[in-house]
Amino acid sequence: MFGAFRLRELSVELRNLKISVERDNGCFRYVRSLDDSRVEKVLFEDAEVHVNPVEPVNLPKKITNYLYISFRKPVLISPGEAATFYLTFPIEIGVILAEEGIYEDIDVFSFVRPKYALYGDPKGGVIGRYWESDVFTRIPELDPMREGVLELRATNLSNKWCEISKAVFDVYGMKVYYNEHAVSSIAEMRVHSQRMADTSFIDKPLFEGMRRAIELYTARALPMLATKFTMEWGV
Amino acid sequence: MIVEVINWAISAVEYEVYEGVTIRDLIVVFLILFIAFLIAKIIAMSLRRSLADKMRKDQLEILIKFVYAVVMLIAIVTVTPILGLNLTGLLVAGGIAGIAIGFASQKVVSNLLSGLFLIAERPLKIGDQIVVGNVAGFVEDMNVMSTIVRTYDGLYVRIPNETLFTSNITNPVANAARRFEYTISIRYSDDAEKAIQIIKDVIEAHPFALKIPPPRVFVDSLGDSGVNIIARIWAPSSEWMDVKMDLLWKIKVELEKNGIQIPFPQRVVWFGKELQESNQGS
Repeated sequence: MFGAFRLRELSVELRNLKISVERDNGCFRYVRSLDDSRVEKVLFEDAEVHVNPVEPVNLPKKITNYLYISFRKPVLISPGEAATFYLTFPIEIGVILAEEGIYEDIDVFSFVRPKYALYGDPKGGVIGRYWESDVFTRIPELDPMREGVLELRATNLSNKWCEISKAVFDVYGMKVYYNEHAVSSIAEMRVHSQRMADTSFIDKPLFEGMRRAIELYTARALPMLATKFTMEWGV
Repeated sequence: MIVEVINWAISAVEYEVYEGVTIRDLIVVFLILFIAFLIAKIIAMSLRRSLADKMRKDQLEILIKFVYAVVMLIAIVTVTPILGLNLTGLLVAGGIAGIAIGFASQKVVSNLLSGLFLIAERPLKIGDQIVVGNVAGFVEDMNVMSTIVRTYDGLYVRIPNETLFTSNITNPVANAARRFEYTISIRYSDDAEKAIQIIKDVIEAHPFALKIPPPRVFVDSLGDSGVNIIARIWAPSSEWMDVKMDLLWKIKVELEKNGIQIPFPQRVVWFGKELQESNQGS
């Protein structure tokens, strides 16, 4: 289902999802229905349209740019050591118009139900898109329409054991790659203490040949500073 | 004739208004100020266009006002020598005049200082919802002298900064999340544990009813007409009102779907006479 299409050729029927583009008196009528939600938009010109996974913080509406992954089982890392393990993240699928390098998302939908949580205290904390994930030691096989694989490279920089039970990311800088079998992203976490860690995304595909998804969250003047998130309320 | 008019115009612009300042100087001053005004407007407009997506609205407004003030200040400093004004003398005179004006306009100065303190303390920003005294609404604009609030019913209210500074300001969206509470009564004959589970499921299904901090649902009291269950739910401050309005009805519908009723006030009345008659009958 993921990939680039001409708008007039876009037609998807998958499970309870239906996307169609109808010609209507010289215009194009984009119609998408999924469960109870339905989106209908009129476009006046044919354009290239990308259907790909996007940063999962858009539904039911954009209120945050943080992704909060809670581990079903905590991970323990010894002092000074690093560990690479795999988590899952929710998939939201964007329908994005592309015209001369300018992108415009016309629709975002998902097969999974969104949920939000507060990381930190109400005064200084942040609201994040909440997702519970199992912890895998090898790349899991997932339904790419529902879940993506997040490779997390965690390093314990402290001189004590650390127990990681959550990871919060700023999705500005999230790089999502996909192929027909999987959706993936790679991130790193540098744990300074049980109470503090830095998280950021790495721009690499998990497998050779994966395509990079068009992102919705890219407009930052200083990307190097903006893409890192400091978890100040514990890991 | 034309030559005469031109000569007259030249002599007119050379007319000395005061101490070597001619009409031509005044025209130049006017032009400089006008051009500076235009430049400030253009810069403000381009800043607004280019940074609208990258900065918060309140920060952008402060930046624009600052740039605007700097451009106009440069223009004023440029034109003062043309007008024959000595800046040093102006500053001394300004100082003396400032004291006099300060005494004469304590309220204005108080508002000004309060505005500066509010900008420094930042208890609120443009777009926030606030409650000050009996005014509740959205902060539309923050000036040095006053703050503009649009009430929930759409009224324009200008609050002098002194009033704002010395009042209790409640900002319901200053924090990332806030909590609300429902009291839900069920009949004594209903299963309270089942009702609690249903309420928890409805809360869980709502995307903006936060998972963390977790919602609390518990039997709070045994009331006159029914069992009172309290549900405490956290929501993002920006969505708080929508979630609060949305969830209560969903809970009610779901409880009724499962045979759990919200009780009407009930009172059991015993009639002594009927009681006696029934006793005699037996």
